[in-house]
Amino acid sequence: MKVLVGMDIQPIHEVEASLTNFGARYGRLIYTAHELRDCGANARSATKLAERFAAKEAVLKILDLGDTVPPWRFIEVKEGSSGGPEIALHSSAADLAQRQGIQNFTVSLSHAGGVATAAVVAEVMSETEEPRS
Amino acid sequence: MSSTDMKIRDVLTEHGRLPVEVETLSDTDDLYESGLTSHASVNVMLALEDTFDIEFPDSLLRKGTFESVAAIRAALASLGVSVS
Repeated sequence: MKVLVGMDIQPIHEVEASLTNFGARYGRLIYTAHELRDCGANARSATKLAERFAAKEAVLKILDLGDTVPPWRFIEVKEGSSGGPEIALHSSAADLAQRQGIQNFTVSLSHAGGVATAAVVAEVMSETEEPRS
Repeated sequence: MSSTDMKIRDVLTEHGRLPVEVETLSDTDDLYESGLTSHASVNVMLALEDTFDIEFPDSLLRKGTFESVAAIRAALASLGVSVS
């Protein structure tokens, strides 16, 4: 089994500016309704949204994109059963990962000094391995 | 320079967060190599929609659409914007 790692950083003030300049249009373009609900519309929203944007970019760095780039909202950060963040892929993002044998995404989010970060790890299944349930 | 090109460059100046002066870039210079980030490209796209009263379909939401002034001009033309 091979492991892939993707990382990304996102300045929080840039997300704040996007929310100010473009409001709901920015939100709907990048984030799922679930993410927008989770992050809320308060002073902490920009930090949480910046972490999620970094996570989406980290996932995109793991996938072999070619000409096919899934929309950001097809990569979702949601709260897992343990209370920590989890990655959920939808539509073309899920299809892309499945075709490439990439599964079991794990994400870690953080922020400090005005910057949000995300690290994502995923497993690549070899052709002889059975997918995990 | 056409008014469309001037508007594209104004949007890049205001929303592209490029570490270089936009006026120093040629039409074909790679904007990502010049410092355009994915997040900034989102802002550029939304500002272009406001400026030209258009909407980018999902099919155009890919890196190549925003990789240069010329590429942005071509995308706008494909959406019916006069680029002359």
